[in-house]
Amino acid sequence: MTDQNKTRIRVAILSVLLSLLAGAVVILILGKNPLTAYFNLLQGCGLLPKGKYGGGKSMITDLSSYIDFLTPMVFAALSYAVAMRAGLFNIGISGQMLTAGFIASITIGYSTLAAPIAKPLVLIIGIIAGMLVGSLIGFLKERFNINEVVSSIMINYIVRYVISFFIQTKYVDPVSRQSKNICDSARLTLHQIKLGGYKYDIPLGFVLAIIAVIAVKFMFDRTVLGYELHAVGSNKVAAKYAGIRTGRSLIVSMAISGALAGIAGVTYYLGYFASIQPKVLVSTGYDAIAVGLLGNNDPVGILVASFLIEIIQNGSAYMSSQSGLESEIASVITGLILLFSACNAFFLEKLAQKKAEESRKKGAKA
Amino acid sequence: MIDNIIIDGMSFALPLFVMAIGGIYSERSGITNLALEGLQGFGAFTGALVAYCLMRSMGAGSSVPYWMALIFAMIGGAVYSLLHVTLCIKFKANQVISGVVINILAVALTTFMTKTINKKVFGAPSDKFDLGVSARITIPGLSKIPVIGAFFKSVYPFEFVIIIIAIIAWYFLYKTTFGLRLRACGDNPHAVDAAGGDVAKIRALAVCVSGALSGLAGICFAYSISAKFSGDIYMGYGYLAIAGYIFGNWNLLPSLAACLIFGFARSGGYQLVQALGMPSAYSDLVMILPYVLTLFLLIFLSKNNQAPKALGETYDKSKR
Repeated sequence: MTDQNKTRIRVAILSVLLSLLAGAVVILILGKNPLTAYFNLLQGCGLLPKGKYGGGKSMITDLSSYIDFLTPMVFAALSYAVAMRAGLFNIGISGQMLTAGFIASITIGYSTLAAPIAKPLVLIIGIIAGMLVGSLIGFLKERFNINEVVSSIMINYIVRYVISFFIQTKYVDPVSRQSKNICDSARLTLHQIKLGGYKYDIPLGFVLAIIAVIAVKFMFDRTVLGYELHAVGSNKVAAKYAGIRTGRSLIVSMAISGALAGIAGVTYYLGYFASIQPKVLVSTGYDAIAVGLLGNNDPVGILVASFLIEIIQNGSAYMSSQSGLESEIASVITGLILLFSACNAFFLEKLAQKKAEESRKKGAKA
Repeated sequence: MIDNIIIDGMSFALPLFVMAIGGIYSERSGITNLALEGLQGFGAFTGALVAYCLMRSMGAGSSVPYWMALIFAMIGGAVYSLLHVTLCIKFKANQVISGVVINILAVALTTFMTKTINKKVFGAPSDKFDLGVSARITIPGLSKIPVIGAFFKSVYPFEFVIIIIAIIAWYFLYKTTFGLRLRACGDNPHAVDAAGGDVAKIRALAVCVSGALSGLAGICFAYSISAKFSGDIYMGYGYLAIAGYIFGNWNLLPSLAACLIFGFARSGGYQLVQALGMPSAYSDLVMILPYVLTLFLLIFLSKNNQAPKALGETYDKSKR
């Protein structure tokens, strides 16, 4: 491991600790014990045993549902990282997830196809849908010079309202007010499987997530495409003079980013859940930015960071029920982590300066 | 019907415009400001909190809470914008990332605090502060003119405030030394530095102005469209304002035109749904009108747009 990577990891750990500390102060002010609250977070994710369990549940049940919750986040954060590699800020991940989830639901989710055909088809449709939305944003940026942040947010809103219109007029479940549940054969999570007296959720997507982490890592470090994206992201003009087709790189990176967001969408809406709530964009797309920043846009770092952030998000419901704190405290802590990680460039620079000074002193002595 | 389109359109377009003015101040000084959305939400939160407290002690009849809400929304927005100042100028963070981070934090903080304060202080679990819709003014005489009269009918008091602020903002940006320096900071900060101006200070001030104006816009939305403060305030209006001034090429008057188009597209769509007697699900389709319009406008106009030259770059004295 290089020195630079070491300082990066140190900065990331520092920002997490700082935000947990800040969160602890808030919890203290509200008159609760922060240690118990954080302990509850881990218990809610099945990483520590709870006091008592309901029928058919165990620590492994919680853990399996936590992994199920984690899977879409890994894909979403990878999606953010691929776009960021080329210098693009994909804030439309939630919209791309929703599009992929909706199209996969109405085409395959409500069909009667057998599981071995339905599951791969869901995945493929998700990839294509996400890829189309992503490359549209890339195309608008390349062809018309539209800031990708503005265009993807506009597309987020358009997608959200159009899909909620279709759900409410065509696919609504009159009881839950959400879209009708998809059939189990199309679902990417084996839901409530009984094993040895306990029930588990087995997320098939998690295996794919690990593969995706390795694939993106390989793409970044070992391929021409990865190098080109990095060059365009670092200095677009220099990349252009070096003979890289920058426009093509922008669109390709958004297409890959969209495809990953598409997988995140199907593992969320046709995996962790089986239906879509109208008029709501999930926070996963925004939390993915926190994960990407914290993981320093490195696929392995992202995997670790998403474990961490999702503990806070997933455990918050249990913490809220145990300690009476509002579950929104989870988003506040995530927001603080974001805030501190956004300053990482500054911390890195300071640490580098300190190191340079030290080595200069050493040199003077010798 | 045309009356209603104008009345609703203006009450949506003007807050959007005042937010866009803030964005122009910030970006002309060289700081990318995607944080408008979070700033308006946070401003609305502080304003609504103050108004809610005052309303409990003074009764609903008084107009003091309303004006205090406007003032405190501006203060709240400006204070919260100091976060963007600190991140962008002191910590040299990526300005786009900083803006988005501030938006995400604003949503989390305000919804958390609204719930906690309601529970702990007012003893009533709720996720919102009810404000009610502000009183409206009809100007006698002028409002009798056919068609144009609608501009003077059922006007919210904040619309006058916004118009006055807009004129002052225009004067300061284009007619004073301060405005000249501010604009120069966005195009050539080194020149400002060489001429003896303090780039960091001017930029910090510009971002604070954008915070205050966004906060004002936020409380206007809270007092008109939603009649309360809650998480619903984050409807992406901040981003609409950004699209507005990009469309206006970072100048005040063309941005006003863009905001008016958004406002009339929205109110026109609603009136259309009502006039045709369509079921309420169709209003979802109408809701997308301003966003679709924004995209199309940007497609036609972004190509020739000239953003301030030093926009988004951290000022580094040593590079002079």
